[in-house]
Amino acid sequence: MAERWDRDRVLALAPDAPSTRAAQSLASGRAWPAAGARSGDGARSGDGARSGDGAPGALWGECRGSAASPYRTVVDLSGPAYRCSCPSRKFPCKHALALLLLWADGSVRDDEVGPPGWAAAWLAARAGRAQAGEPGEPKDQEAAARRAGQREARVASGLAELDRWLCGQARQGLAASQRAGYRHWDDIAARMVDAQAPGLAERLRALASVPHSGDGWDGRLLEEYALLHLLAVAYRRRAELPPPLRETVRSRIGFTLRQADVLACGTPVRDHWQVLARRDLEQDRIRTRRTWLRGRKTGRDALVLSFAPAGQVLDASLAVGTDADADLVFYPGAVPLRAVVLARHDVIEGGPPGGGTIAGLLASWAAALAADPWLDTWPAVLDVIPVHAPVRAVCDADGDAVPLHPDAGRCWTLFALSGGHPVTVAGEWTPRGLWPLTAWDQAGGILGVFGAVPL
Amino acid sequence: MSAWQDLVTAALMGTERASVPATVVPGLPLAADAPDIPFPNNPGNPVPEGRAPDDPAVLLLDRAALLTVARRGGRLADRVAPPPVPEPDQAPEVSPAAGRRLARILRGEYADLLTEWLTAAVTRGRRAPACLLPELLDRARRVTPADPELRRLAAEAGGSRARWLAALNPDWTFVTAHALADEDAWRLGSAAQRRGYLTALRARDPGAARELIAGSWAAAGPDERVMFVTVLAAGLSPADERLLEIALDHGNVRARKLAADLLAALPGSALAQRMAVRARGYLILHQGSRGTRLVAVPPAECDAAMRRDGIPSGVSARSTHLAGQAGLMLEVLARTPLRTWTVEFGRPPEQILALLSGGWAPVLFDGWALAAIAQRDQEWIAALINRALAGGRPGLLSAVGTLGQLARRADPALGAPGARPEPPPGASPVAEDAVRALRFRYHMLKELDHDSAG
Repeated sequence: MAERWDRDRVLALAPDAPSTRAAQSLASGRAWPAAGARSGDGARSGDGARSGDGAPGALWGECRGSAASPYRTVVDLSGPAYRCSCPSRKFPCKHALALLLLWADGSVRDDEVGPPGWAAAWLAARAGRAQAGEPGEPKDQEAAARRAGQREARVASGLAELDRWLCGQARQGLAASQRAGYRHWDDIAARMVDAQAPGLAERLRALASVPHSGDGWDGRLLEEYALLHLLAVAYRRRAELPPPLRETVRSRIGFTLRQADVLACGTPVRDHWQVLARRDLEQDRIRTRRTWLRGRKTGRDALVLSFAPAGQVLDASLAVGTDADADLVFYPGAVPLRAVVLARHDVIEGGPPGGGTIAGLLASWAAALAADPWLDTWPAVLDVIPVHAPVRAVCDADGDAVPLHPDAGRCWTLFALSGGHPVTVAGEWTPRGLWPLTAWDQAGGILGVFGAVPL
Repeated sequence: MSAWQDLVTAALMGTERASVPATVVPGLPLAADAPDIPFPNNPGNPVPEGRAPDDPAVLLLDRAALLTVARRGGRLADRVAPPPVPEPDQAPEVSPAAGRRLARILRGEYADLLTEWLTAAVTRGRRAPACLLPELLDRARRVTPADPELRRLAAEAGGSRARWLAALNPDWTFVTAHALADEDAWRLGSAAQRRGYLTALRARDPGAARELIAGSWAAAGPDERVMFVTVLAAGLSPADERLLEIALDHGNVRARKLAADLLAALPGSALAQRMAVRARGYLILHQGSRGTRLVAVPPAECDAAMRRDGIPSGVSARSTHLAGQAGLMLEVLARTPLRTWTVEFGRPPEQILALLSGGWAPVLFDGWALAAIAQRDQEWIAALINRALAGGRPGLLSAVGTLGQLARRADPALGAPGARPEPPPGASPVAEDAVRALRFRYHMLKELDHDSAG
């Protein structure tokens, strides 16, 4: 039996609030005279009973609307992916959301006969694409190598220019940066784009706000300049670096690895990965979702990134508070953290993670920095009590404390959940403090009623 | 620490003007002697082409990089005194299902059912989930003038956790204000605190609250009189009639209007009886050759006695597009004890409603619906809902309002699966919405009942 999602998981897919409302009012059995579901256990259980189809779970239905003919909606639960005959440009549209809501409420029956022709065709096409895999290798290996060589040269000259610019800043003094406009950083960032070093460009553009970030801005700007300088030096001397650190330097500069190459080179790590926390960011009209995982058996931390254009829905398949039995492949690097999901075997109800101490967090952070000095985000899972004054912070049973990130807001949900008692908090540790993302209430050893509470 | 500050100062001024201070990182060789940081694959060895940089700007950035990473990695935890242990929570939290429903309400789905959810949780001795308290308290804070009850309910449903939170956030001080509503609050407090005290007293001891209001009426200002009458709405009983009649003669316009509405909601009150006498003349059961039908004989005008009893002259306040005789008819019906009709016509509500037809039907339907809501008459409410859902279109006046209001005041059992007719295919969105609201309330209260049973 395909595990039914709960309403929250469905509503998390909605592209905006009006879609949520529209879907809720459409989610009644009367609007869906013909709807059915196919459970997706064939692929998962592997018991042979249904392995013949091996098809992923799916939903389909016809929705009576204002139009003369009903809209036909199909959802492939493995993606999830959606198809609807309505003209909406939203994705998923209200019909797909409503159908999912109906299913979540238990109002869509499993249909032994299987999907009708119009739904089956699309589902089959999807399954076919999935098996065919990614488009083929670049045919001309030689041309590819030539292009790669050209890029290395371009990046090298770009980094040399960046280092000259940084030294120029150090020579003239940073005091002038407070009067400088965005152009000051945008110009050098644009030159890094030309030099095919987008990672540097992004980091430089973000600097424009530092001189206006309040007390200590000068120190923070110097830190950033110094780390960029270190990156330029490291790239210049990349031949001397051990290969993992070289990969770290390249990824910070903006060289990307194709997912297929990562999968081909890395060794899969199978574990029950606890989905600890999730954070969404938007920059330059690209949405990024950072999902933090920790293996129950291996204890390894992993970061799964997903991207979407602004206004579109991010991959929601790793739900906070659940465990995923999955194979992960890590990107190479001095501190291998980023990973890609190779295969997902099962989703398991997740208990709260074991929280650590602040001393433990700072020790693991120091060790990670020793390997990757550019690291600025590190997963934290702590058993702590939030304290409100003199600054918002969390403290553990040993009396150790670290501040909450000043930009993380007032964190009222965290305080409410704790009420002065210890909670387990998962979040991102940064040089400016802890950014809390998920909390588990553990009063009396019982999980809080909401399980994992996103903060 | 100071080594870093020295570097920052030098960086601010620029190496053209300032010299680069030496940096020391415990456990590492002096940065001045090892300008090139050794890489892990050749630890300690100067890199072949490595040499002390002549450019002080490079030296500054080298040293800043070294110190940045050393400071980040070497960061020590702060020390804080552990926070005081809060008082334990008496009431247990509601179940996860009930909590999820509260979250849906707070996020805008049936937002108007929040008061009902909170009241139900409080009377069952349950408290709202801790993680929803910030949303709940923010919501209660925003409703200042409209619904002071919501603040009291939010504070009660939040329990000691809400009081603990409110001590941290000045926006939520109303939580403790409600908790500390003692007699000082009544004698010395602000208008809100006096109201809080009186509301709490009314909930605890309705008679005592009534005595307190009666004793304070003469000295009270117009706003406070309005507040007094509003407080009486909770726990209304025939014993309140004498006080409400005083308000009818000695209040300002708003207090008079509110008092008249409350008196009309007391089917045994003198006002309700006066209304029944009027109304009996306006609706006549006619047994003719073509069957039984209802004949409307609407009032011609709004006289002084009607105005005293709260009937607005001119445009009806309830439905702005309804004026004149229809408006008067609606207002009188809304205040007439429903028993009047079952006695007068000798039939149960369903049979009376089955007689509705013609142009007056929507006016009568809405008038009875308002009366059923005010008098909390479940028999009529159920009959009205069934009529609206089963009988196609009763021709509702205020298309959104009436049926939705009925669905929100009905016995929630009416929302149980199979408890009422499904709306026919092609039913209006209003009917669909009413059915959904009923079902929502049924599940909402069932979840909370289940909690207190377990």
